[in-house]
Amino acid sequence: MLVVTFVKQVPDTTQVKVDPVTGTLVREGVPFIMNPFDVHALEESLRLKDKYGFRVIVLSMGPPNTEVTLRKALALGADEAILLSDRVFGGADTLATSAVLAEATKKLAQKEEIAIVMCGKQTIDGDTAQVGPGIATRLGYPQLTLVDLIVNVDLQAKKVKVRRRLEGRYEIVESPLPSLISILRRANRPRYPVVPRRLMAQDAPVELWNNKVMGLKEDTIGLKGSATQVRKIFSPERTKGEILGDGANKPEETAKLLIDKLLAKNIICLK
Amino acid sequence: MEEEKKIKRPRGVARLIVGKCIACGARCEASCNKDAIEMNAKGEPVINTAKCIGCRKCVKVCPAEAIEMYFTPEEQKILAEIAAREKKAGVKEVSTEEAATLAEIKEYKGVWVFVEHNEGVPAVVSWELLGAGAELTKKLGVELCSVVIGDKVENLCQESIACGASKVYVIDSPVFHYYRTEAYYKAICYLVDKYKPEIMLIGATGLGRDLAGAVATKLSTGLTADCTGLAIDDKGFLLQTRPAFGGNIMATILTERTRPQMATVRPHVMPMPTYDKSRKGEIIREAVPIKEEEIAAKVLEVVEDAKSGAECVDLEGAEVIVSGGRGMKAKENFALLQQLADELGGVVGCSRAVVEAKWMPVDRQVGQTGKTVRPKIYIACGISGAIQHLVGMQSSDVIIAINQDKQAPIFEVATYGIVGDVFQVVPALIKGIKESRGKT
Amino acid sequence: MSVNVAVFIPVLVIAAALFIWSCFRRFRLVLLGKPANRFRNIGKRVKSMIYFAFGQRCTVNHGYKFGLNHLVLFWCFMILLIANTEFLLHGLSPNVISFSRLTHGVYYPLAYIFDVLSVLALASVIIAIIRRLVFPPYYIQARSRDAFTILGLIAVLMLAFFSLHGTEIAQGKEIAAKYMPISNAFSHIFSGASAGTLGAYANAFWWLHAVVLLSFLNYLPYSKHMHILTSIPNVFFRSTTKVNTQLPEEFKKGNTFGVGQVNQFSWKDLFDSYSCTECGRCSNMCPATYTGKLLNPRLVIHDIKVNLLKNGPLIAQSKATNMPLIGGGQEGSIADEVLWACTTCGACMEVCPVFIEHVPKIVDMRRNLVEMKAKFPTELLPFFENIEQRSNPWGIVPSDRIKWAADLNVKPFEAGKTEYLFYVGCFGAFDARSRKVTLSIAQILNTAGISWGILGKDELCCGDSLRRLGNEFVFDRMARDNVKIFKDRGVKKVITECPHCYNTLKNDYHQYGIELDVIHHTELLNNLIKSGKLSLNGSKDLGNVVFHDSCYLGRYNNIYEAPRQAVTSVTHRVPTEMERNLEKSFCCGAGGGRMWMEESTGKRIDVERVEQALAKNPSTICVCCPYCLTMFEDGLKDKKADEKVQVLDLAEIVAGALKK
Ligand SMILES: Cc1cc2nc3c(=O)[nH]c(=O)nc-3n(C[C@H](O)[C@H](O)[C@H](O)COP(=O)(O)OP(=O)(O)OC[C@H]3O[C@@H](n4cnc5c(N)ncnc54)[C@H](O)[C@@H]3O)c2cc1C
Ligand SMILES: Cc1cc2nc3c(=O)[nH]c(=O)nc-3n(C[C@H](O)[C@H](O)[C@H](O)COP(=O)(O)OP(=O)(O)OC[C@H]3O[C@@H](n4cnc5c(N)ncnc54)[C@H](O)[C@@H]3O)c2cc1C
Ligand code: SF4
Ligand code: SF4
Repeated sequence: MLVVTFVKQVPDTTQVKVDPVTGTLVREGVPFIMNPFDVHALEESLRLKDKYGFRVIVLSMGPPNTEVTLRKALALGADEAILLSDRVFGGADTLATSAVLAEATKKLAQKEEIAIVMCGKQTIDGDTAQVGPGIATRLGYPQLTLVDLIVNVDLQAKKVKVRRRLEGRYEIVESPLPSLISILRRANRPRYPVVPRRLMAQDAPVELWNNKVMGLKEDTIGLKGSATQVRKIFSPERTKGEILGDGANKPEETAKLLIDKLLAKNIICLK
Repeated sequence: MEEEKKIKRPRGVARLIVGKCIACGARCEASCNKDAIEMNAKGEPVINTAKCIGCRKCVKVCPAEAIEMYFTPEEQKILAEIAAREKKAGVKEVSTEEAATLAEIKEYKGVWVFVEHNEGVPAVVSWELLGAGAELTKKLGVELCSVVIGDKVENLCQESIACGASKVYVIDSPVFHYYRTEAYYKAICYLVDKYKPEIMLIGATGLGRDLAGAVATKLSTGLTADCTGLAIDDKGFLLQTRPAFGGNIMATILTERTRPQMATVRPHVMPMPTYDKSRKGEIIREAVPIKEEEIAAKVLEVVEDAKSGAECVDLEGAEVIVSGGRGMKAKENFALLQQLADELGGVVGCSRAVVEAKWMPVDRQVGQTGKTVRPKIYIACGISGAIQHLVGMQSSDVIIAINQDKQAPIFEVATYGIVGDVFQVVPALIKGIKESRGKT
Repeated sequence: MSVNVAVFIPVLVIAAALFIWSCFRRFRLVLLGKPANRFRNIGKRVKSMIYFAFGQRCTVNHGYKFGLNHLVLFWCFMILLIANTEFLLHGLSPNVISFSRLTHGVYYPLAYIFDVLSVLALASVIIAIIRRLVFPPYYIQARSRDAFTILGLIAVLMLAFFSLHGTEIAQGKEIAAKYMPISNAFSHIFSGASAGTLGAYANAFWWLHAVVLLSFLNYLPYSKHMHILTSIPNVFFRSTTKVNTQLPEEFKKGNTFGVGQVNQFSWKDLFDSYSCTECGRCSNMCPATYTGKLLNPRLVIHDIKVNLLKNGPLIAQSKATNMPLIGGGQEGSIADEVLWACTTCGACMEVCPVFIEHVPKIVDMRRNLVEMKAKFPTELLPFFENIEQRSNPWGIVPSDRIKWAADLNVKPFEAGKTEYLFYVGCFGAFDARSRKVTLSIAQILNTAGISWGILGKDELCCGDSLRRLGNEFVFDRMARDNVKIFKDRGVKKVITECPHCYNTLKNDYHQYGIELDVIHHTELLNNLIKSGKLSLNGSKDLGNVVFHDSCYLGRYNNIYEAPRQAVTSVTHRVPTEMERNLEKSFCCGAGGGRMWMEESTGKRIDVERVEQALAKNPSTICVCCPYCLTMFEDGLKDKKADEKVQVLDLAEIVAGALKK
């Protein structure tokens, strides 16, 4: 049985800076990495592999250099890697992204039974957390988002039990296989790749699926299949570090100042 | 006139403005019908000017306005001439394509707000959305409606109306006792198909984002995530503004061709509406034929944090962390920090010095050899900011530092710093928060 | 005396055969190890063997009082070896071989020497026994059965020697009786006995002597006293250079990495394990052992030997091993925790009398854990990933590397235009405290008119911690990247702030085909002061300055004097030494990647070291390493002494004394 795992290659946005003068993003030297949430999703898949003997296939949609990220997944222990790359896949919003990813999953399902489709809670570039639900809905699989613990997989009954983390509470949910799970970062501590696997991954095959392979209608994918349009991008008002008031002599006043700032910027809410 | 028409409008070629590309994911490449754009390893376009026909598709699609049309000086002259003439003649180009889609989506009317609740207890964000929705309806001149789905949720209908909804669509059935994606999204899709709203707002909570993603996919419409700003443009489109790239940029997003325009909206950002019990509204009861057996996922248990016991604090998942360092002087003083944390719904963390002194257990340690945390607010009290500590908390959204020593390195990473004595500032903060809360 | 040759010959033959067989069985196992070239530089090797093994330099050095005892025993043993050889040969052909057949001028002195040395040996054995019984040193298993067996055998051997000769003197058979004072004294015991009884006694003592001697011989290969056979060759095969680097690994598919099974060590490593005298000096010096960690370097070496003896025969027959080398509890010979406790400070290697190389073995086993099993303390995971992704331990954005120079006009390094590359290092660039040291160095360099530049945000982490932590795979890549930058930019001379960068650039990188002229800032500052390029006008009073040696400067690279001289030039007073200083300095606790791990067992090493410093009543503690700086400041705060005592890097002390 398969665990299909989605990973996205993203720019390391924590290294992105905004040029204080021009207000544009400074991306120079910012490397591409495996989306941090997906590292945890992959880890969770690999743990399922260790525990239940599933095969783990990683898929990623992106430009050709996404291969680097897929190789990292292979080094960590994934069994196979598939790159979904085509000019016509480009510029996709979450709707058009989930279209391609769901179709690719269907293709895999034709050959081998799928136990679980795993993805990260969200990415650090698009930040939407919408692709997971999108894939699940398209496949008609139950979706288990915000999972921080996979309690167990019952292979006999074909069920998976997970713990979901919501605001102020946990939820224990049981769902039939196959289900889609989106993983929180706190779910696990990712492993470190062993060297023999790293060496193996350096030249392991990564399958390429372009639209010739996928055969999808162009108005459902990529830019054309996207329902949202990003009209404008601008840099947010940045709060640079500032020292407030005179905390040493007027603590009460300074504390007020801080609270007002936090309220004004919606950082805290005292409703 | 005849003669003038012969002047061919120069189309120019696309050109990348250095430094503006944000590597959004090859929108320009995908938009180009002539394959004139290839992305390089950095995710930036390389434009093949020989292939470019000047169609402007990439310029329009680029969210970062990183592509412009380049015209040679001669071409610029011609353009200026044309512009002058058009001004004289008062011609304006209207695309027929645009007109067609506009007509198609006209059927959709009204602003809907999904009322989120947990077994009947409403999420505050739902009311905030009614507040925000009211602004939009004013601009559009349409109705503000709420959608209530649940089990015995009559009270939520009344509350919605009190918060400004003029219509409430309600589906009340035991199947909806617990939130389950499948049941809820089917119910909403049913309502949308029937009543066709133009805008649908959902709180960007865990539940809301789970639901919205499924609904939008089913309806094949656009969904904008975690918005912090909503507005209506001159064409009546919803302008949705949201942070992306880990908060490094803001993007304004539109759903131009499909309806409803869906958005999840960040809690605490929108203003609360005035609550008015005397408001009147219409309640429309609907039913969907969803049976319990059809729902695959079962909620076995719900554990509220309050009941799960405080021993296992969840530093890594906390939204607010109040952290103490050696400057707290003694174990007892951590009660003060706990108080502040309680006020803000947070937990208490600490530096290694504190663990070393046995004032706090090791699972509260933040830093290089402790936990790495990314809360929305990190308040460092009496912590000097050694690099071993900073590494564990520097990616917090907002860092507040309280330290006597204004040279302390913690101020280098602080969003807000207060130079002062923790034993004066922290109590003042607690008092201030209590007062502010009393006011609202 | 007439020995029954017919009986003795088979006894001797059997004993000798047994001994040879035992030796063969043991030494065959050594050859299971991987190849290592320890034959180059024969001349140097012979010299060091004579100096260290026969001179017993290391045994006596380092203030070990009982080393003298060993020296005596060693030399008695070497000389009595001649006597005992004669004894055995004499037993084979009593009438042909005997020293007594030599001219008197030779025989009498020999008899005298043997007699006196025998009593010396007896005395030192008794001293050793008393020491073990009355005040056993904590760092060895002083009261082991093994020790008492050997000491007992030697004592009995000596007593048999005197008794044998005593009876012979009493029989009037010994012509050198006058020259054998002790045996002569013994003879009085037997003076009353009849000739027949005396003959019987003599015979009995002869056999006692023979049996004990042969037993001793056969016991050797099975005891820690195997070192009697191996230590001298081990000194011969010692590393001819300081053990301050690690052998590289070849990253080819199909290879295994590090040492996870005992035969993956080199033969020299295995031979080391046979050579350990169990003197326990390494453990005595080891900061980890001292502060109650599970690590005890003597036991690491011992456990390798035990594992080899257990698994070696199986491996030789290509059978599965039955005791893993690494594993906690009952699972393996050496617990993971033991390996992670090492600071690679090198104190153990410095004092080992037989030049056993502990650190490379520990690192080799770490390599296996990291590279083959990905098993390591959890704190290291972010460390490894940060280094790999952002080339610094904390995962800080690489462009922040130049932040320290924001207010300065620092030139980028350009070959031809700038002479030195100032390789700042991660601490110097990112750590707020160490940035002050960096600024001090920059100020000094400018004052002295040195032409220098930096790599700025292109500087990478040197990879020291990675290498010591056994993450050789990533180290290898980083070393290559660094070397490429150095070569591309034409870097020849490098100044480093951190001793770890210093050691890595100097001693690790030449494995990657680059010979850099690396200079640590302490040396540079001292040179600048000496050559008058810096004029000092005395600083504000630093009070009593206590100096702490960084392991990677001192023990690893023999830099002891430069920083001391520099301090003296500034303060006009020789810095105060701690009890443990120079070669025996006590690590701050951060080396070997310990900087990135939690220290939860025992006492914290930095606290211990700070206490050692506080014992000298310092006002200032002078360090030369950003790791030491962090550890001392942390330790002082822990001891609530940070108000009274300041920690300064040498560069800060010098910069503070520059003429304005
Ligand atoms: C500034 C900006 C703002 C945007 N805002 C929106 C918006 O509001 N609405 C919208 O619909 N689109 C938006 N997009 C487009 C969106 O980022 C892309 O569609 C992207 O392909 C998927 O969305 P995400 O990165 O948010 O993924 P998420 O939905 O956050 O990802 C969840 C999980 O899905 C999987 N996954 C996502 N993408 C891939 C992939 N390409 N390959 C493999 N697995 C994947 C991963 O496991 C990931 O952890 C925006 C893009 C930009 C640049
Ligand atoms: C291997 C290793 C790992 C480490 N890992 C970690 C780690 O994971 N996490 C970690 O935190 N540290 C870690 N450290 C320790 C780190 O180096 C620092 O020692 C530690 O962070 C200091 O803690 P502190 O800021 O609480 O104490 P201090 O540095 O002593 O700072 C106390 C601060 O409180 C201020 N202060 C005092 N009184 C008051 C008052 N009344 N009002 C306001 N301010 C006051 C002082 O001005 C001072 O700045 C590690 C160190 C090592 C060697
Ligand atoms: S290197 Fe230092 S810490 Fe490691 S075993 Fe030797 S003495 Fe102990
Ligand atoms: S390793 Fe060296 S120092 Fe340690 S006990 Fe053995 S011989 Fe002594």
